[in-house]
Amino acid sequence: MLADFAAKFTKEEIPFKKLGNKFFLEDKNLEKIKLKQKEKYFGIFLGEEKEDTFIPSFVFLEWLAERSEEKVFVKDIGEIDFLYGKTLRSRHIDHVEGETKIGFLKLVQNIHGENLGYGKIIGDFTKTEQVIKPKLDRGLFLKREKKLKREEEKA
Amino acid sequence: MNIFTERYKEMGEEIEFVKLRKAIRVNTKKISPEKLQVRLEKKHVEMERIPFVKNGFWVKAKFNLVSTPEYLLGLFYFQEAAAQIPVEVLNPIALTLDCCAAPGGKTTQIAEYAPVIAVESDKERFVILENNMERLGLRNCIAYLMDLRDVDKKFSSILLDAPCSGNYMLEDNWMQKNSLKRIQERAEKQKELLAHALSLLEKDGTLVYSTCSIEPEENEFVIQFALDHFPVKVEKINCIGDPGLTKIFERKLDPSIANCRRLWPHKTNTIGFFIARLRKC
Repeated sequence: MLADFAAKFTKEEIPFKKLGNKFFLEDKNLEKIKLKQKEKYFGIFLGEEKEDTFIPSFVFLEWLAERSEEKVFVKDIGEIDFLYGKTLRSRHIDHVEGETKIGFLKLVQNIHGENLGYGKIIGDFTKTEQVIKPKLDRGLFLKREKKLKREEEKA
Repeated sequence: MNIFTERYKEMGEEIEFVKLRKAIRVNTKKISPEKLQVRLEKKHVEMERIPFVKNGFWVKAKFNLVSTPEYLLGLFYFQEAAAQIPVEVLNPIALTLDCCAAPGGKTTQIAEYAPVIAVESDKERFVILENNMERLGLRNCIAYLMDLRDVDKKFSSILLDAPCSGNYMLEDNWMQKNSLKRIQERAEKQKELLAHALSLLEKDGTLVYSTCSIEPEENEFVIQFALDHFPVKVEKINCIGDPGLTKIFERKLDPSIANCRRLWPHKTNTIGFFIARLRKC
């Protein structure tokens, strides 16, 4: 599950440990300093399993972006659109690294090289209008925070 | 006159409500303060360095900064200016225990300098902590959903930002909503937490105790309790604020409590705050 997702971006093996439905990167140094109780969060959070699907964390996407060539870099206007869950158009793209074939997954970076999420190639970068369909974007933090606030107010 | 304003008067203070400025702390693991300033100013955000903290800015914008890519990318954290001080006073350079970690402002701040063991006992608040750790991209934190009293490892560096009754700058009608009984109940809990945290502190280790309360029962009296029961000394700290009170409500406290800092909103233009740094002898 996690390995299948990671293989789309890197050949590197990802040693992980699972805590509940969450995956974390193995880390021998952190193992040495942890408490004897069961932790809930451990170093680099890789993602979680939800209904048999692996959902990567944003820390993992950042980590992958440091190792992968499968990246598309978007201009400012594309950055905002992507964070609002909109499909990227060719005019949003600054440049592409790695594979450009339809169906491939790409890490979506802004012009500063920061990871905004990832998406799937749905069109030809030189021809078509719509090129990257968002799969996961950092706008999710807004939704999560709104939800948490609602829950807190209810409580 | 409210009982609290009377008490503040007894402490020598005529309090005033001040307009708080929105503050952020730069996540230096991801970006420098200078670079973030350039990026946000391009978006017409007014930025002013907070002079008494390392990586903080007061910010003003016509839109909600939460919707900016910079926020979503975890380049900064909304953190009141006073709340940025305790971690700077702790100056973590080795593995640090953060005792009451959620929502994670101080945890993520510590993680900029040293690995963190974060402990939080509230399940709902733990979710907020996780979310902030992910947004800020933490890689060196281990977090536990459990009671601090279950921790049994020793640390050379501990932060106890204790749950407190808050202060009148944080909540509408705070003075009407609170009572001395509630303050006292909080104080008992704080003593309990501090006692356990101190039992986890290595000899010569440092513990920073802080609250966003300005009530002596939750602050100076708690530190006096620590001095009475543990081999600790109160270290002098260098930050804004007034010295801790050593003579209050007919109680004479250890003179070293003056080494603590007490932030009065009308003097510092921040929320009310109290900070103490203890070293185990």
